[in-house]
Amino acid sequence: MVSDFAAVAVFLIVGVGFVLFTLLLSKIFRPSDPNPIKQSTYECGEEPFGPSWIQFNVRFYIFALMFVIFDVEAIFLFPWAIAYQSLGLFAFVEMLIFISILLFGLAYAWKKGLLKWY
Amino acid sequence: MPFDIVQFYADWQTILPECFLLVWACIVTMAAVFSRNSGEGTSTGTYAIWTLIGVLVTAVWVALTPDGTAFGGTFVFDRLAVLFKEIVLGGVLLTVISSIGPVDRMKLHRGEFFGLLLFSAVGMMLMVSATELLLLYIAIELSTVTLFVLAAYRKANRKSAEAGLKYVILGGISSAVLLYGVALLYGMTGSTELAGIRNGIGDLFMASGSFPPGLTMALLLLLAGFGFKLALAPFHMWAPDVYEGAPTPITAYLSVASKAAAVAAFLRVFFVGLESSQTLWVQAVAVLAALAMIVGNVTAIVQSNIKRMLAYSSVAQIGYILVGAVAVNTWGATSMTYYAMAYLFANMGAFICVIAFSNRMGSDEIDDYAALSRRSPTIAVFFSIFLLSLAGIPPTAGFLAKYYVFLAAINNGYLWLVIVGLLTSVIALYYYATVIRKMFFPLDQPEGGFPVSLPLTIALSISCLGVLLLGVFPGPFVDLAQAAAAMLMPGM
Amino acid sequence: MTVGLPHFLALSAIVFCIGVYGMLTRRNAVGVLMSIELMFNAVNITLVAFAHYITPQDVTGQVVAVFTIAVAAAEATVALAIVLLIYQHHKGIDVDNVNIMKW
Repeated sequence: MVSDFAAVAVFLIVGVGFVLFTLLLSKIFRPSDPNPIKQSTYECGEEPFGPSWIQFNVRFYIFALMFVIFDVEAIFLFPWAIAYQSLGLFAFVEMLIFISILLFGLAYAWKKGLLKWY
Repeated sequence: MPFDIVQFYADWQTILPECFLLVWACIVTMAAVFSRNSGEGTSTGTYAIWTLIGVLVTAVWVALTPDGTAFGGTFVFDRLAVLFKEIVLGGVLLTVISSIGPVDRMKLHRGEFFGLLLFSAVGMMLMVSATELLLLYIAIELSTVTLFVLAAYRKANRKSAEAGLKYVILGGISSAVLLYGVALLYGMTGSTELAGIRNGIGDLFMASGSFPPGLTMALLLLLAGFGFKLALAPFHMWAPDVYEGAPTPITAYLSVASKAAAVAAFLRVFFVGLESSQTLWVQAVAVLAALAMIVGNVTAIVQSNIKRMLAYSSVAQIGYILVGAVAVNTWGATSMTYYAMAYLFANMGAFICVIAFSNRMGSDEIDDYAALSRRSPTIAVFFSIFLLSLAGIPPTAGFLAKYYVFLAAINNGYLWLVIVGLLTSVIALYYYATVIRKMFFPLDQPEGGFPVSLPLTIALSISCLGVLLLGVFPGPFVDLAQAAAAMLMPGM
Repeated sequence: MTVGLPHFLALSAIVFCIGVYGMLTRRNAVGVLMSIELMFNAVNITLVAFAHYITPQDVTGQVVAVFTIAVAAAEATVALAIVLLIYQHHKGIDVDNVNIMKW
């Protein structure tokens, strides 16, 4: 038990140490010659404009909210899928009911136009 | 696991009313979006009538369902469950009737309002039947998460949004605290079923002759969680803001149905599951009840908004209900159940009067109630009856309800708590009477009276009838409460 | 040193307290919600630890944890929607500014 964790700890220390070491090494050897063009953000060759802390469109949040719901409900599917062989027909029907409740929510959102991007 | 059709039927028979209401809630919600013009063309009255049909069918169904336990004893359908389910459904019924006016003024999402109301009712119905803490937790969440949405329902109103935020934050904290208590209890006893917890606590006591500190911790967390849900004194800070900001029918619903369901859950958890450890929690409950009565009633005096005043008054009312909880026996449970019934009609009625008033006047300020008896004698008279019942004046239901809880507390040696209760009742009478005096003794003649709409008159009449029947002919209702309480302690 | 039940309980108590602290001190509404999630996750640690050490023969604690995660997600969704609504009203989500109603 203890040796297991010791291995993990050694791995962690070596991993973190290596990153810090290489960063430090490049810090020591590279020449420091900043200029505005060099320090600007690289956006695939595009000219960057505006700060990155801008307000996102509110629709992103709506989609994110919907995603969270359907994403997390999948948590019930995994235990069911693993134990599917031993659970049988009854659990299958129950899962169908569960998914149809989720579908009800999806249908509501769809009909309300929440899935459209205007 | 072989499939047993008899057991399957017996299980589902007890939970079918909830299933029906759930499906009905889905239908109402979907009708709101799938009807023509996305439901905006359908009148609010139509939604309300369909919702009422669903509620009434469920109420009858609940009354006709035979007692039984289901799903391995995690769900129980007994007299206690029936009574509190009917109280919840009565609360929904009156809420739906009284919300026609306020919902009609909303431009958007009128159908979903009723759908959400039904979803929350399903949660409360499950709550009063749950004898397993996970089921109880999920039921509580189902009822409160929908209420978060309903509290913030007037989207254009800043107060409503604020009410929603405060409710969702405090609701989340209380759920986390409650759940932590459940987790610790599970760790101590190795079970989440109330019967298992009861046995587990007994074993703990047998093993060491005292209770481990972890159990005390779990009980305190559970009490705090329930305190938040019931808006008891140190945990009540969300209640006034949420009550003021939420649409008034939702305020009424919140203060009556959700509290009644929480009282039933409290009875099951504390009177059944934690009964053997009562030495650990009865004192704490007594202190909480006293604090709720004092803080609620004293703060209510200085309120200028009627919804805030009723919010603080309902904090105090829950305090009175919990006075009965210091008597961990059939009498205590009976008095609490009876109080819950009386509270349903009186508080619901009072809020319906507030709705009727603000429908016409658009105001919730107590000062605007001046000379109401000249403008609308109906509201003034009804409102007075409900306020007197809340204050506990005979021959209304409130008097007997207070009498029973105080009697139960005295018989268990909690005289100081009863004295606190009596003193705060006097304070309560003062601020209720102030409102009544304002309504009946006008300084000037106001311009123009106003009628009360038919649905509201019906709702008011039902509530008033309830208050007076419970007060004048308490016999059958006490029998009902007793039958319900007997379910908690079959041995006594 | 072997890691046992007390360690898990201590961890979850610490996480729960961090959640309570964050909930009380955060001024950003989303920060408050994150603190509440932290409290829920602390409870989940407790539940799973108890399920492993106290009742190894059944999975009640784990089942409760799974349900807690799902319910917390539903609650978080509603909470975020309400925060969005608050943002539309106040042009910001600083909870100290959301105080038209007092006393």
